[in-house]
Amino acid sequence: MTDNAIVTENLTKVYGKLTAVDHVTLNVASGTVFGLLGPNGAGKTTMIKLLTGLTDMTEGDATVAGFNVRRDPMHVKQRIGWVASEVILDDDFTAWENLWLQSKLQSLPDWKDRAGDLLEYFGLKDRRKDRVKTFSTGMRKKLEIALALLHQPEVVFMDEPTIGLDANTRRMLWDLITGVNKEFGITVLLTSHYIEEADALCDQISIIDHGKIVASGTPTALKARVRSDFVELETSEAVDEAQLRSIPGVSEVRSQGKGWILRVSAAEEVLPKIFSTLKTDAIRRINVEKPSLETVFLDITGKRIDQAGADVPDYRKFYATMRRARQ
Amino acid sequence: MSTETTHARVTGRPVLSERRSVSQRSQFAGLYARELLRTFRNPWVLVITFVQPFMWLAFFGSSFSGASPALVQQIFHTNSYIAFLLPGVLATSMLTVGMFGSMSTIQDKRFGFMKRILLTPTTKSTVYLSKVLGSTSRGLIQIPVMILAAALFGVTFQGDPIMWAGWILGIFFLGLGMSSFFLAVTASSTDWQTPGVLSNFITMPLMFASGALLPLANFPAWMQAIASVNPVSFSALLGRGIVVFGTVDWSYLGYLTLFAVGMLVVGTAVASRYLKAE
Repeated sequence: MTDNAIVTENLTKVYGKLTAVDHVTLNVASGTVFGLLGPNGAGKTTMIKLLTGLTDMTEGDATVAGFNVRRDPMHVKQRIGWVASEVILDDDFTAWENLWLQSKLQSLPDWKDRAGDLLEYFGLKDRRKDRVKTFSTGMRKKLEIALALLHQPEVVFMDEPTIGLDANTRRMLWDLITGVNKEFGITVLLTSHYIEEADALCDQISIIDHGKIVASGTPTALKARVRSDFVELETSEAVDEAQLRSIPGVSEVRSQGKGWILRVSAAEEVLPKIFSTLKTDAIRRINVEKPSLETVFLDITGKRIDQAGADVPDYRKFYATMRRARQ
Repeated sequence: MSTETTHARVTGRPVLSERRSVSQRSQFAGLYARELLRTFRNPWVLVITFVQPFMWLAFFGSSFSGASPALVQQIFHTNSYIAFLLPGVLATSMLTVGMFGSMSTIQDKRFGFMKRILLTPTTKSTVYLSKVLGSTSRGLIQIPVMILAAALFGVTFQGDPIMWAGWILGIFFLGLGMSSFFLAVTASSTDWQTPGVLSNFITMPLMFASGALLPLANFPAWMQAIASVNPVSFSALLGRGIVVFGTVDWSYLGYLTLFAVGMLVVGTAVASRYLKAE
């Protein structure tokens, strides 16, 4: 295995007039969990499609597990695993049959022992002969990860793996992802628009917005970039922007929807001044954000991550919900 | 097995440290078996597969039951319209097998399974060929059922085993060709309606502009021209010669072989380029 499991150089994908991925250059070290953090429509899924050879790149180059994606896509596919945002299994098949099919697709002659061990590892051994359509969402996710690990890949791509899951299942999945990385020694590229997920799981993070990487680093280093606190303010009466700017300690004022976002030196010092400047009963809501990946995103893009992609419908979430509703 | 042992075995380092050849045999076998398993696990598919031949022969085959034997003999050159109809019905049943293959492909795209397949070392042409063979095999299930149904309706059969093997091979080639055509045309589609619309569009002209249901001799010249290049005709005429008269014209099997090979080659090229993952 090479030092870098994934290397991209000016990776670009253009769909008509839309540049989904815009000259992205990345190095993902082997054995790490790498997070691509960005709102819906930022280009995260397109990045995965490009790196797995599922779609052709318009420009640039990429190497995954030591093989060039453009020239050697089949050898890349022998070395990667994939976990989708929505669970994709053959519902008419049993857990064992799904593993059997995956072994055929990966041309694995001796797969049964490993498949049995994986089912045991993920606590599914007793359900191996049950059809997948009878499984809970958590069990289906576990089986999907088992499929991704069956051929002992070097890199596993996880595309928003916890989208649409309840808090408990999400936590369980976080543990599994950590296990995949730490115990199996597999490089994980994870996309997410959940700040806390990226913070909890990733060794390295790149923030992607409108197809461009706007910041990269460890979660700690990224948070250290933002030396300010943010105060989110919503008032019942109109407030003059100049009035907010005049408050000592406020370095920047941005309007957001019906409210304001103030960048302040230290929230605990500035809050009393805000209260004294504005009428207290005019403040409908006030929220303080200490440095976090959320504030990093806010600092760089001027938007919250959950609002940045608000204009992009999340069809995958919709389809996942519809599928669950049918079961 | 202890937990430690399982853990050690599961977390073992990757065994794949160098290039491994990417043969498509395993992928093809897996995907083809999946198609068959999915077919046999759907009770509706099985019920309809077994009931439909009886309905064809009962409803369509009875349409001349009121006619005098002399009239039937004069038109069909046999005293059993069901015997005349049997090879034609089996030929026309192959017109729709491609539709099922297309629908299965579109389902895989819409539910993300095609992405799961194409993120493994499986080529688009392997996916295409497994779907073509899967849908053709599904069509072949009807052959023994239909023959049994015809026997129950009192049909007596002519021909020897070699002729019958040639006829069944001809039906298989017709199914391969039609499936290849359907799956190639719908390779880039994700719309559920496309296979049905396409099937409605081509089934009727190919079924009626052929010798499948009625003798060609009474057709107008333009329909005879279409029938002369219609693979459904080749299959129906090949089978009718064997089943009804005990004679065989192997050139029909030759045409059907060319049709299947041509469609497979063109379809594989189209699918390799245009088959979409989603």
